[in-house]
Amino acid sequence: MTDVSRFATVILWTSVALAAAALAAVVVERAAVALIRMRLRRIERRYQPLIQRALTGDDSAAGALAMSPARHRPAIARLLVTPLITDRRPARIARTRVIADELALVALADRYLRSVWWWRRALALRALGLVQVRERTPAILASLDDPRPQVRAAALDALTDMRDPAALAAIVVRFHDPSLHRGRRAAALTAFGSDSEPFLLELATADHTNRVNYARALGMCGTIRCRPALASWTRDSRPQVRAAAFEALARIGVDETSAALALEALDADEQQVRAMAAYALQGWTGDGNAATHLARHLDDAWPVAIRAARSLRTMGPGGLSELQASASRPDLAGILARQMLWSGAAQC
Amino acid sequence: MLTAFTAAAIVVSVAVTIYFLLWNVSQLLMSPVAALYVWRHQQLHTPRARAVVGQIAAQPLVSIVVPAFNEELTIVESVRALLALDYEAREIVVVNDGSADGTLAALSRAFQLTQAPLAFDQPITTAPVHGIYRSIAEPELVVVDKENGRSKADASNAGINAASGVLVLIIDADTVLEPDALSRAVVPFLEDPTTVAVGSNVALTNGCRIEQGRITKAALPRSWFARFQVVEYMRSFLLFRLVCAAANAVVLISGAFGLFRRDALIAIGGYDPTAIGEDMDLTVRLQEHFRARRQPIRIAFDPHPLGWTQAPEDLRSLRGQRWRWRRGLLQVLWRHRHMIGSRRYGTVSLGALPYIVLFEGAAPLIEVVGFSIAGAAALLGVLNWRYFIVMVAASALLGTAVTLIALVLSDVATGRYQRGRELALLIVVALIESFGYRQLNSWWGFVGTVRALRGRGGWGVITRRAFES
Repeated sequence: MTDVSRFATVILWTSVALAAAALAAVVVERAAVALIRMRLRRIERRYQPLIQRALTGDDSAAGALAMSPARHRPAIARLLVTPLITDRRPARIARTRVIADELALVALADRYLRSVWWWRRALALRALGLVQVRERTPAILASLDDPRPQVRAAALDALTDMRDPAALAAIVVRFHDPSLHRGRRAAALTAFGSDSEPFLLELATADHTNRVNYARALGMCGTIRCRPALASWTRDSRPQVRAAAFEALARIGVDETSAALALEALDADEQQVRAMAAYALQGWTGDGNAATHLARHLDDAWPVAIRAARSLRTMGPGGLSELQASASRPDLAGILARQMLWSGAAQC
Repeated sequence: MLTAFTAAAIVVSVAVTIYFLLWNVSQLLMSPVAALYVWRHQQLHTPRARAVVGQIAAQPLVSIVVPAFNEELTIVESVRALLALDYEAREIVVVNDGSADGTLAALSRAFQLTQAPLAFDQPITTAPVHGIYRSIAEPELVVVDKENGRSKADASNAGINAASGVLVLIIDADTVLEPDALSRAVVPFLEDPTTVAVGSNVALTNGCRIEQGRITKAALPRSWFARFQVVEYMRSFLLFRLVCAAANAVVLISGAFGLFRRDALIAIGGYDPTAIGEDMDLTVRLQEHFRARRQPIRIAFDPHPLGWTQAPEDLRSLRGQRWRWRRGLLQVLWRHRHMIGSRRYGTVSLGALPYIVLFEGAAPLIEVVGFSIAGAAALLGVLNWRYFIVMVAASALLGTAVTLIALVLSDVATGRYQRGRELALLIVVALIESFGYRQLNSWWGFVGTVRALRGRGGWGVITRRAFES
């Protein structure tokens, strides 16, 4: 019984101690957060007007910022750089770069880049990219091989923001690199737009294994210049490559040659190829009686049927008459046709 | 005989005390892991990282499925909020699940609905669909009017069928989304192709000011029952679930906010209409499906509340909800008992599910039976009253400690309640919640278990209130 009483006492005091410690944690955390917020607000009140003036070209304001104590610099950098995430006007970026230089923020970023803490390296990379400090492109490219995925992701973000042509080849080469976030890879390529196209086509010539990725990449940034290559890939032995090539053609737009290939591919054995071939024909009003061919696929497998219907809606009077002809059908093809006609009418 | 009963009473009392000590200490030990997860998440999901969504050439189309059953009071405001989301590539599929009130009429009035043809593949069988309506004013709004399927699962499945997006967001009709909810939730899918679902912390709308379907002021509710649920949600979402997320072992994506890859939902046959806890059942089946096939799976979790939902404020609704949750939990654990302890499903079956069985599944039974035996023994004089009181006090104090730690995590993760008065009130709520409310919950859990074993119960009715503006 004595043992039980002792056990009870120990348990009670342990519980009291834990509850008191948790209560103290709440108070300390809230006090710390409040202090940090108060300090940031004070810095913001003090420096935000100066930053605004400095951004409009007021050198005295920039000079006053340069005189700020070193301990305020990270907070000033945040106020200066964060708006660049959404505001990508070249003039603002250029002026921010000048101010950042005067405040020795680039030197601070260089120091952070060498930090052992990954979050500091990532922060420095994001800032350098947003301010477009192109002298640091080699350092950012080197960070694509950082052991931490978070830093590699920040490096890719920085290269996207930087849009330095010197980095383009490296980005294209790393397009298949699974160690880099795929969304960010796509964003980087999209940022360079059609400038990436020649590199992609050149690499695709030598690298047949990754052709499906090149086709997808060209779907994002390709122009009519890559149509011949894509058209030739629609005859690849791998169905994924053929489907990706038709998908890219759908985004770029087909010409007579590629439209003929798409019409032919509507009879392919693989569903994904037929679906993407139907997709590629969107907006095509040229030769080949495409609308009639597509209408036959309204009762194909669902992924093919829906793309055929959507393409028919974009094919002008030819597509419209095929949809009207199918609209009276009682099956899924009929509903699809009626849906497309309804959507077209609603848009008008 | 009395000696044997005394010994048994002491053993039971000590065992129950140790059980609660273990449970609460395990939760306290989770807090550093959860804090690290929150910190890492904040470092990774910066505003710059979220900007990636706007930089890619083609954003993934997200279909927002809103199952609605008798939601006349809130549905229009909810849809308006969805239409105002900052994510462009989205469609809204409202499924009117045979509502007996004016849900469809309210939608029709507000959005000028007209019956329109909509063709869709129907890979998941549902109750019959009566008609499809579309809005000319809001082309991305589709309303599926169907026969009542007697479950949210059936309505969600009809929405999944009609969805044309590669991603499907399933929410409750009264869920209010953060304006950037979609652009935040889509990021894990862009980062990692193995991501099949994203869940998030869910906060309560009770007491908040809502204007045009947006939370414009987060405040604590006036009702004490709702206040208790505020801290309960913090504890539930910011400790065990974050640890599960850190270990890639998420077993529950709340029905109030879950973003899924549509093909993954189709692959497992959508929601099971016979499941009472359909959200947990779906999440566990997703884990089972992919892990059994040795396919990589990641279910991500955002500690920031992307969705806000309404909690019941009256005792009857709350009791009904807790009975249902209890039966749902037991049903899921029973259906997936083959997974528990199996090495095949990794951290899900070796960590998350056994923990749930041990602490969430067994807790109400142990608490009610253990305290009843100890109380009876104290009444009969075979157990020292002082020990009984210590036992109750220790369990309540440990519970309070866990809740307070969850409060710290919530403050760091969300910064939701800024004013000192709110913090003081939350501390008071955390302190008194363990003395009465938690015991009431345990009792409901116990009764829910008994009802589940006797095969009783339905969905229950939660009294909805219009949003406070």
